[in-house]
Amino acid sequence: MAPDVAADPGAPLLEVHDLRVQLGGREIVAAADLVLRPGRLVAVVGPNGAGKSTIVRAAAGLLKPAAGTVRWGGTELRQVRPKQLAKLRAFVPQRPEVPQGITVREAVLIGRSSQIGALRRPGAADRAAVDASLGRADAGQFADRQLTTLSGGELQRVQLAVGLAQGAPALIADEPTSALDLGATATMARLLRGLANDGLGVILVVHDLALATAIADEVVVVDAGRTVATGPPDAVLTPERLRTTWRVDASLGTDDDGRTALHVGWLGAGPAPPEPAAS
Amino acid sequence: MPLRQIAVLASVTVALLVAAVLSIALGSTNIPVRDVLHSLPLVGSGDVEPTTERIITSLRIPRAVTAILVGAALGVAGALLQGALSNPLASPDVVGVTAGSGFGAMILLLAAPQAIEWVPLSALACGLLATAMVFSVAWAGRGGGSIARLILAGIAVSAVFTAGTTALMTAYPDRVSSAIFFIAGFLSYDSWGTLENVWWYLAVGFVAALFLIRPLDRLALGDDVAQSLGVRPRVVRLAAAGVAALLAAASAALAGLLGFLGLVVPHAVRLAGGTSTHRFVVPVSAIAGAALLLVADTVARVVAAPTDLPVGPFMVVLGVPLFLWLLRKAV
Repeated sequence: MAPDVAADPGAPLLEVHDLRVQLGGREIVAAADLVLRPGRLVAVVGPNGAGKSTIVRAAAGLLKPAAGTVRWGGTELRQVRPKQLAKLRAFVPQRPEVPQGITVREAVLIGRSSQIGALRRPGAADRAAVDASLGRADAGQFADRQLTTLSGGELQRVQLAVGLAQGAPALIADEPTSALDLGATATMARLLRGLANDGLGVILVVHDLALATAIADEVVVVDAGRTVATGPPDAVLTPERLRTTWRVDASLGTDDDGRTALHVGWLGAGPAPPEPAAS
Repeated sequence: MPLRQIAVLASVTVALLVAAVLSIALGSTNIPVRDVLHSLPLVGSGDVEPTTERIITSLRIPRAVTAILVGAALGVAGALLQGALSNPLASPDVVGVTAGSGFGAMILLLAAPQAIEWVPLSALACGLLATAMVFSVAWAGRGGGSIARLILAGIAVSAVFTAGTTALMTAYPDRVSSAIFFIAGFLSYDSWGTLENVWWYLAVGFVAALFLIRPLDRLALGDDVAQSLGVRPRVVRLAAAGVAALLAAASAALAGLLGFLGLVVPHAVRLAGGTSTHRFVVPVSAIAGAALLLVADTVARVVAAPTDLPVGPFMVVLGVPLFLWLLRKAV
């Protein structure tokens, strides 16, 4: 399934400029900028409470911004109808709901439903799209099991398949790996990188900086509600950045085989006290 | 559709058809099934004795149709509310409609019995009024639309209307016996009278329910996924609860307080079919609810014939053992 790209294949899918978001009267995001293009994987990183999830939720249209611009395919977000927006981007949530009595295949068919007319029954093309989404998310082998019987890693792949079934050219995943073990995290990393290689624009909110370094084309660092740095992982995630934003003495390294590691002075050998940033 | 779901759909459909024929055949006078089939409009040959035909077309068929519509409406109302609130305990009671309809009927039955022909419309109006009060609290201001707030507002508003009903019963103790049929849930040989007034509330409710099936399925995967798929969760919750209230209030106007059906039937359908998707649960709950109420009404009318007993208790007696059996099998 080729993504829906505009006439200019490199044109941004999403442009966020000077975004501000308030929740319950408090300013959570003060100034955020973000650009997503087809075939790119953008990792949004930052300390807990920095506003990463809020930025991507507002960009996806799940929250109303207080100010700033969000454009999808060049059109202002508030001028895009919800049904139209469903064709432009899919949002994969952090903590998926696990309803009883729904199989994996049924859940993915619900993901496909934005492409099916209001009172139409799903047809052969819809079933084929569901199978394709299950395959791309490596979830085909448990397609007929109930959601309640799945492991955390399997469930997260199902969520990915539900998002892919929307058939949108952009996918926003909010911390899909935060509850997964090492193996499941690696599987998810490979899947997301594969989707970007296939031409999708992918935004990934993630805590694991070694993972972000390995798979992202671009890293956006969020600190205290602001996007403070954007660029290739090696250029952005410097020891200096890790010290000022996360307040740790740490550095990222990549070996000759592309394996990444985060070297941390856990016991506070660095110059700054190991306290979290103001949340 | 998996075989198990096809089997459930086929079983409830057959049960409904058999119940419909029996409901028309059985009563204070029993009519042979052959005559029932021959007297059916459109399909029958019309080769039936005139008296028998009059009993069938002006008494038994309207009553059977009312039972089918009320059973279907309550089954759908329960399925919509349980889906909208993601809460298996939701039923039309939760949004205040049952207490409101009860009060609306009782105020006429007890305080103004000379206006008894207005009971159905009063039940409908007060049921919708109670729901409107619940919604105006539950959806107002910041954080409006949360499930907990809706349920708490429903309990509080229900308490007000229930207190009103209790006050009426205290004020007119000698008339309470005349109201028992409404509280217990009843069907009568009213011909098409009440149905003529409220059928279009039911029609609007059933059509709206069709359009809510897919949004409710999206909501089942969580508000975030629903929003990703272009659904506004608050709008879907409000619409589904409103449609359920409309169906339940119209049902109360036709047959008194039978809210229990709306709680149990969708669960039974989910357990039997092994799926929670609304594509299956909403339509099958309609058929199963209709079948259950029709069977219960036939029993209520036959068991002490010629006395016509309230259908509510019989529905519980028939429905609960079946439900408990399914529940045991599921866990």
